[in-house]
Amino acid sequence: MAPRARALLIAAPAVLPVALVLTGALVAALLQSLGLLPIIGEPEFSTAAWDADGELLLATGISVYIAAASTVLSVVVGFLIAAYVLTSGVSSRVLAVLSAASVPIPHLVAAGAMGLLLSDAGFLARVFGMPSGFPGLVGGRGWGAAILEFGWKESAFVALVLVGSMARSAGGLCEAAATLGASAKQRMLHVLLPLALPALGVSALVVFVYTLGSYEAPWLLGPVSPEPLPVRAVRLFGSIDLTARPEAMATALASVVVGLAAIGAGLLLLRRVRGWR
Amino acid sequence: MQAYQPVRLRAAGGTGITRPLLGGLLFLWILLPLVPLILWSVAAEWRAPDVLPGAFSTDGLAALLRPEVLTATGASLVLGLSVALPATVLGALAAFAIRRLPNGWARGVEMILLAPLAIPPFALVMGSNVLLLGARVPAFPSVVLVLTVTALPYTVFMFRAALASYDDQFEEVARTLGASSRAVLARVRIPLLARATARAAFLAFLVGWSDYITTLLVGGGQLLTLPLVLGSAASATGNEQLTAALSLAMIVPPLLLLALLAVPGPRRRR
Repeated sequence: MAPRARALLIAAPAVLPVALVLTGALVAALLQSLGLLPIIGEPEFSTAAWDADGELLLATGISVYIAAASTVLSVVVGFLIAAYVLTSGVSSRVLAVLSAASVPIPHLVAAGAMGLLLSDAGFLARVFGMPSGFPGLVGGRGWGAAILEFGWKESAFVALVLVGSMARSAGGLCEAAATLGASAKQRMLHVLLPLALPALGVSALVVFVYTLGSYEAPWLLGPVSPEPLPVRAVRLFGSIDLTARPEAMATALASVVVGLAAIGAGLLLLRRVRGWR
Repeated sequence: MQAYQPVRLRAAGGTGITRPLLGGLLFLWILLPLVPLILWSVAAEWRAPDVLPGAFSTDGLAALLRPEVLTATGASLVLGLSVALPATVLGALAAFAIRRLPNGWARGVEMILLAPLAIPPFALVMGSNVLLLGARVPAFPSVVLVLTVTALPYTVFMFRAALASYDDQFEEVARTLGASSRAVLARVRIPLLARATARAAFLAFLVGWSDYITTLLVGGGQLLTLPLVLGSAASATGNEQLTAALSLAMIVPPLLLLALLAVPGPRRRR
């Protein structure tokens, strides 16, 4: 057998299920969203699910807001963690271990923990003596607790990626800059930040797309209404009213479209960043 | 994580307070969310304005030994392993195949295998649900299939990274010395890729172990795993003790596995 055919055959057990599930899921979702694959009754073409009273647009806006805020928070804190880990002594090693250890914590657990920490009568409010002005982070319209949960989990991920990508070069370059008289702040902004930029861009993109499609935190920590895309889709999907199914699929596909658009825009942008091949 | 050489530097004229302050804030950022979790798991009573629990008890942790929780833990373990096995094996095969393919083909195969990262899991699940129901695939294999597809990008990526620094000459030398292809696999390839395999399997296990949304939507309530029990505890009010105990039960096994992975392998060659 030709080597190419042999290699394709070896890859096939992985490629086929992925290709099948992916195309099957997307095509089935599209057909269902257009009323062409009803659970009961006759198929009837309709775009009603795609323009349901602007609700889909609102959900998209909320999802983009949550994902964007979470991405900014994760990238900023993740960079600070990486900078600290890469340039100081023993405590930095402990921080590196703790941060890496928080990566495998499931989002569901992190969301539950944020609930216990940030709710009106949560741990943080108690530490501050239950002030009347404590912000409504859990269940509030700003999705503060959900964004903090994403930021907490994903900043550890960003830090892991950054430390991995800069570990070899950061030490020597920082040392050289220090010898030339650069302050800690200058080293961070003019040595580490440019060095981190490509990896920072890629991890920001990963975080944005991930948080856009993540259900647990906005579901547990967000307000009942309005809803971001994943919460709306899952609620409609589980609805007893079977006519809600097309809307659920349209909502799911909206998240796919926004995610793909973000990836396209992100890759275009990353190409312009200096040092990115 | 890669090995790195931290350097301690003191900038001329730099303020001495910034670094400890930053370090303290970062430690607080990472550890603070875990504090109420740990306190609640051992609290007997913890009324609103009190900063610390008034009394402690092991009731929350004892709830982990209830039959339904034990069953759910078992189901999560089985699900994690059922995803880890195919995702690791298929990921390794695919990574080897990509290495042998000409550039264009390799890129295409890699694109397909990484594509699930771009699709939100709930969208993947909802779309495939109607097909899986139509094909009368039972709940458990359906969940395993969808989660394996979700886990494959991670395992493929891990093996691709490991193979980037893998030297084919080791296998060639073994063959020249008369080793059968089976011996090459068992004595050369598998030992050289053991760490990458462990990491890939760990990530794939995590996908199954911590999944909530796929089990909820495809399993349709028939498949009760630890995350599902935790989800229903966390979404109801007044369940802080149980939520905290279940959360710890979900965190501890992966952390133990991670610690095992971090220990340097005993079979390091001279």
